Amino acid sequence: MNAIEPVTLPGSNNPDMTDHVSAIALRSKAFLWWWIAVAPAALLTSILIGSILYLFYAGVGIWGIDWPVAWGFAIISYVWWIAIASGGTFISALFFLTRSEWRNSINRIAESMTLFGAACAGIYPILHLGRPWFFYWLFPYPNSMGLWPQFRSPLLWDFFAILTYVTASVLFWYLGLLPDLATLRDRAPTRTKQVVYGAMALGFRGTSGQWRHYHALYGVLAAIMAPLVCSVHSIVGLDFAGAATVGWHSTMFPPFFIFGAFLSGFATVLLLIMPLRRLLRLQRYITTRHVEVLGRLLLTSSLFVGYAYIMDAFTTYYGGEKAEITMFQEKLFGYYAGIYWATILFNVLLPQLLWFRTIRLNQLVVGLISVGVIVGMWCERYTIVVVSLHRPRLPSSYGIFHATIWDWLTLTGTAGFFVFGILMIVRLVPVISMFEMREILAPRRP
Amino acid sequence: MTLIVASFESETGLIEALPRLRGLGAVETYTPKALQGDDRTSILPLVVLIAALLGAGAGFGMQVYANTVGYPVDIGGRPEFSWPAFVPIAFEIGILSAMLAGFFGYLIVNRLPHLYDPVDEAMLMRGATCDRWCVSIRTDSPDRTHDLLRDLAAEHVEELSE
Repeated sequence: MNAIEPVTLPGSNNPDMTDHVSAIALRSKAFLWWWIAVAPAALLTSILIGSILYLFYAGVGIWGIDWPVAWGFAIISYVWWIAIASGGTFISALFFLTRSEWRNSINRIAESMTLFGAACAGIYPILHLGRPWFFYWLFPYPNSMGLWPQFRSPLLWDFFAILTYVTASVLFWYLGLLPDLATLRDRAPTRTKQVVYGAMALGFRGTSGQWRHYHALYGVLAAIMAPLVCSVHSIVGLDFAGAATVGWHSTMFPPFFIFGAFLSGFATVLLLIMPLRRLLRLQRYITTRHVEVLGRLLLTSSLFVGYAYIMDAFTTYYGGEKAEITMFQEKLFGYYAGIYWATILFNVLLPQLLWFRTIRLNQLVVGLISVGVIVGMWCERYTIVVVSLHRPRLPSSYGIFHATIWDWLTLTGTAGFFVFGILMIVRLVPVISMFEMREILAPRRP
Repeated sequence: MTLIVASFESETGLIEALPRLRGLGAVETYTPKALQGDDRTSILPLVVLIAALLGAGAGFGMQVYANTVGYPVDIGGRPEFSWPAFVPIAFEIGILSAMLAGFFGYLIVNRLPHLYDPVDEAMLMRGATCDRWCVSIRTDSPDRTHDLLRDLAAEHVEELSE
C-alpha cells in the first residue's frame, strides 16, 4: 500500500490506452454518474445566468458592496478563479519545460481546468463594472471623444493580461488537442462524429511536417505560457498593490498572489483527477504517483504561502504605520477574525499533514486537504479585499460588509459552470492527452 | 499517377523503408507521434519571436503615443513619457501576438484546414493516428513500389487510383 506506483502501471501500452481514452469520448451514451453530476451543475449554471440577468437589470446594488467596502464578492471570486486557472498552466507549460513525464497524463485535465477557471474569472470584472455595457471602453479603440484608456493603471494592465491569458489558454489548449481530435475522427463510430471531430481536427494527419512544426511550436508556446501566467497573476496582485489602500500597498503582492495560484491550482487538479481516474477507470495512466507528486507540490506551495503570511505580519509591524497596524489587529481579532484564522488553518496548517507519505497516499485525506485549500484560498481573498477596505485610514469611514443572496448565487453559479464545463470536456474530448502519452508508453501490446 | 498507402507495425520499420521508397515518387509519412531522426528545423519559433517583438513594440508605441501626443495629461508635473508603466501592457500585447502568430502560423505552414485528402480513402490511414506507421507514395511505377514494399516487410498495402 505504501509503495508508490510509477507514472503508468507496468504493462500499459499505446493501443490499449488509445482504445480506452477515445472510447470515453466516443461513447454513444453518457455514464450514469455523468448525468447525476451534470444535473446540479446545469442547474447552478442556469442560476448563474439568472443572477447575471437580474444584475444587468437591477445594477450592482443587489450585491452587498457599499462604501467603504466597494470591492466585494466579484473581486474576491475573480482573483480566486484566476488563481485556480493559473494552476493548470503551471502543470501544462512549466512542467512541460522541465520534461516531467507525469505531467503528460494530467495535462489535458489541468488545461481544461484553466479554460473554465479563466472563463469564470473573466465574467466577474465585467459584472463588477456597474455599467457593464461600456466594457469596450477598456479597449484602446479610436473614438469620437478622442479619449484613451489610462495605460498607467494596473486595472487596465489587468484587462490586457486577462484578455491575453484567456486567448492564449484557448489556443494552447486547442493546439494541444489537434492530434487527439484526429484520433477521434479516425475512430468515430458514426458519420456525424466523424464530420464534427474531423472538422475540429482541421485535417491533422500526423504528416512529417505537421509533427515537426508542432513540436517546434509547442515548446516555444510553453516557454511563453509559463511567464505569461506569472505576469497575469502578478498583475492581479498589482490591482491591489497599485492602490494606496491600507493592507494593499505592498511590493509583496505579485509574488504572494503567484504562491496562492500555485496552491489553489494544485488543489483543484487533485480534486479533479482523483475522482476522474476512478470513474473513468484511468488508474493505469493516472496513478498514485500523480497524487503523490501533486501532494508534494501542494505542500511546497503551502509553505510559500505561509511565508507570505508571515511577511505580511512582519512588514506591517516593522513598518509601524498606525493605520496598517489597526487594520492588521482587526484582521487578527476583529469582526472578520474567523475568516483570517480559517485561512491560516486551511492554507498553512492543514497541508502540513502532507509531510507524511501515508497521508499523501491516502486519497480521501488528500481530497479533504484540497477542499480545505480551495476554501482557504477563498477566505484569503476575502480577508485581503474586505478586511482591508472596512478599516480605511479615517475612522469615520469604518464600515462592515455583508454578502447578499445574489453574491452567493453568483459565486455558486460560477462553481456550477466550472463543473459543467469540466463535465462537457470529459464527455466530448479525450481526458488524457493521447499523443503525449505515446511518448512514455510501450508502442505495442505485449 | 497511383497513390499507394502502406503501413508498418514499428517505427523502425518505417524509418528503414523511407530512403528506399523516396526513389519511387513523392513520399509522405503519417505517424501517431513524431518520427525519430527528423532534424529539419521549423520556421515557427522565428515567426513567434518576430511577432512577439513587433507586438510588444507596437503596444509600447501605442501607449507612448497616447500619453505624449494623443491625449497628454499633466498630473502634478509627472513625466508624460513614464515608460516603466507601459511595460506590462506592451508585454501582454507581445505575448498575445506571439500566440496568435504561432497558432495561425502553424495552420499556414501546414496548409490547414485541409479536411479532405485522397489518402483519406485508404482504410490504413485510420491506424495512423493510433499505433500504425503509415506512408503514402505517389508513383508512376506501382508494380515496383509493391515489390519494394513486400521486400521491406510492410504490414499492409493499399492502392488508390487518383
